Amino acid sequence: MTTPALPPGPSPTPPTAASTPTLAPSLPNAPPTFPFPPIYAFPPFFTLQPSPTTLSSQLSSWSALIQSYCRHHRIFALTLVDALATPLFNNTSISRKLSLADARRVLNWMASAEGGHRAEWITTGKGGGEAGRCWVFWKRPEEWAAVLEEWVERTAQKGSVVTLYEISESDVTRREEFHGMDGELLSRSLGVCVKRGKAQIFGGEGSEGVKFF
Amino acid sequence: MFLNQLDLTTALRPSLLPEETLLFVQDAVGLYEGKLKIPQYQNGQAYLTSHRVCYVDHSEPRRNSVAIFLKDVERPEFYAGFLKSSPKITLYPKPSKQLTRGTAVATGNAANTPDGRGSPAPAAIPSVSATWVCPICSFSNPVPSNFDPATANARTPLPPCLACGIKPPLVHVVKAAISAMSNREASTLPPPYSAGPSTTTAAGSGNQAISGSGSISCPRCTFQNHPSLASCEMCGASLGSATDKRLDIAPEIGQAASPGPSLTGPLKDETIQSIKFSFRAGGEKIFFERLKNALVQRKWLLQSAPPIPKPRPASGSFEDGYSANTDAPVANPERSKVVGIAGLERRGLEQRKNNEAMIGSAFEDLEALMTSAKEIIALAEQFSSQANLGTNGSTEASALASQSASALGLVTTKDMLGSGSESLYVSELSRNLAEWLTDDTRGILRKEGGIVTLVDLWAVFNRARGGVELVSPADFEKAARMWDKLKLPVRLRQFKSGLLVVQGRDRTDEKTIASLLAWLKELHSSPTATTALWDVQTFGKGVTAQETAERFGWSVGVATEELEMAEEAGALCREQGLDGIRFWENWLVKMPFQSLPT
Repeated sequence: MTTPALPPGPSPTPPTAASTPTLAPSLPNAPPTFPFPPIYAFPPFFTLQPSPTTLSSQLSSWSALIQSYCRHHRIFALTLVDALATPLFNNTSISRKLSLADARRVLNWMASAEGGHRAEWITTGKGGGEAGRCWVFWKRPEEWAAVLEEWVERTAQKGSVVTLYEISESDVTRREEFHGMDGELLSRSLGVCVKRGKAQIFGGEGSEGVKFF
Repeated sequence: MFLNQLDLTTALRPSLLPEETLLFVQDAVGLYEGKLKIPQYQNGQAYLTSHRVCYVDHSEPRRNSVAIFLKDVERPEFYAGFLKSSPKITLYPKPSKQLTRGTAVATGNAANTPDGRGSPAPAAIPSVSATWVCPICSFSNPVPSNFDPATANARTPLPPCLACGIKPPLVHVVKAAISAMSNREASTLPPPYSAGPSTTTAAGSGNQAISGSGSISCPRCTFQNHPSLASCEMCGASLGSATDKRLDIAPEIGQAASPGPSLTGPLKDETIQSIKFSFRAGGEKIFFERLKNALVQRKWLLQSAPPIPKPRPASGSFEDGYSANTDAPVANPERSKVVGIAGLERRGLEQRKNNEAMIGSAFEDLEALMTSAKEIIALAEQFSSQANLGTNGSTEASALASQSASALGLVTTKDMLGSGSESLYVSELSRNLAEWLTDDTRGILRKEGGIVTLVDLWAVFNRARGGVELVSPADFEKAARMWDKLKLPVRLRQFKSGLLVVQGRDRTDEKTIASLLAWLKELHSSPTATTALWDVQTFGKGVTAQETAERFGWSVGVATEELEMAEEAGALCREQGLDGIRFWENWLVKMPFQSLPT
């Protein structure tokens, strides 16, 4: 059952066809409202269940919701504390919200093998402590690599050098899914391309270029 | 019909007749007809009640259970057992049923000729034969001819002692009358063992006879021997052999119990000469003792007896609680008719006087209380119901407790059971409990919504026992755990948290979940008082344990456990809110969100 009852008002806009491209995609209050699934309005959805079978179903629903939401708003990383206030975790219409601990559990589950490694906690600095910030892989780096290669193929840029800035910020890529991508994630994805032997990264810090073969 | 069909309760115990009380239970009992074992009646429980001896088979209780009415029993005979032969109690049917048979040929003539007896002491007329011995001066007085021990109560006029002029206690005369009656009946009806073509002196004085207390008098020296003795204690004359020769049915001493021959062919009621109960696990002594007492007491006579002869003519037509169940109130023609309030007041006054007299006489001494127990219990119940009306605080539990007096007859107590075997007590208690729970007139399970915690049940059960013969928690739990083994219609269930509850066997988890879900479905369309923020049409409503308890009549603890059970099964899910936990239909599983178009 995939989004059976979409609200009729805002048309379900696929993110790639966004008519009003956002300049600040990391902000969650992007104009086209995200069509929440019906289960988002089910109060027990915001209480993690004790029964194992129900819980796994609930967690996968949450995982799907978070990924869809992030894809819609082009969010590549979530800062947990800030995200709690957003509509993703806080359904004001039924005044239910997910608690910090439960949200952390959901993301932990997404990061686990069971959740398909759809999230990854970002460890900052050498301390390695959880900064409450995590990647949400609505596409995993391997998948991003494939998307980038496809884009290069499509736009006939094979052999030419593009900067990382060009990939993520330039007007050329505005209509692409990876527009506005976090630099760190981008270099990780490109790293996958390099490993596959499809690209080469050169240049210094801050001004890297990439050459696709 | 010597062997009667036995009705069993749901718990596979004999269902008792009105006013019948349970006296003794013994397990591992087998049945014999004459010398032959009755097949399929070889391992069961023997129940001795005030009216009957019942056999309930262990493996096929519904099919192979019989009852013998004590009123059909001529006499019991005790056989103590020898080497591998188990102790046995033989019950001989009343000979009136056997007059056509050869055993009665010896006496030959009609049943009511008293010529077989000839004991010189009492007079010839049976009604005057009873005497009571004055406890003061030990003079033997005749019991008045119109004295009926079955109907006698404290107000029955008794003549004073002829020698010293002191009135005898009622119970004294009742005892004398009863023992005289049992002697009389034993002799007026030709007993199969008496007056045969024996070579002993006269037909009368030489007879070995069973006296009221059950002992056998020696045919040679008339010494009263214990019934289990085979030969006279004084002169050594054989007691049993004489009986054997004439009857051919008495227990053969030294016969092996188990390898004995079995009865082939169907059991014909007409041909029954005696029924033997073989006690393979002991308990025969107490059983016999109580059997003898029951035969002497003749409670079954009381069953049809009119309750109380009213002392004053004006009180002849009371319609109060305890005389309402008499089937034949004596109409008193000369009773002055007073109508209106004066009549009501007068009736009340008379009734109070009557009660006062009854209580006064009943509590004079313990034995008098025993004789008029029936009336006193009725009175006590009436008082308790009045007291409940007055205080208006009749909760279910106290209502149950007030039924206790009538329930006393049902309880199994430890001293009712033979050989002190713990397992028999527990299994009897278990049956007892199951019976009590499934009794529709009490409806204990129904009132609690079909499920009750073991602790609550224990409390109510002990209250219903009226403060006597209380059951220890350990025994209670053991008894409850035996329900499964005994295949009784109730079961003990343990929740995840360890809470033990009792419920009907037909009530499964699936049924509980189905009824919960049906209720939650109803809530989809029900107009809720508060405007719900979510889509009630789709999701329905969450329910708390409290609401569930109210809806199904459960206790809150049980409701919580049932909801959690349903949650465990995946039918419900929970919502932890500020106002506690609410349970919902499990849309998390039924309506998951999976859409991730790539």
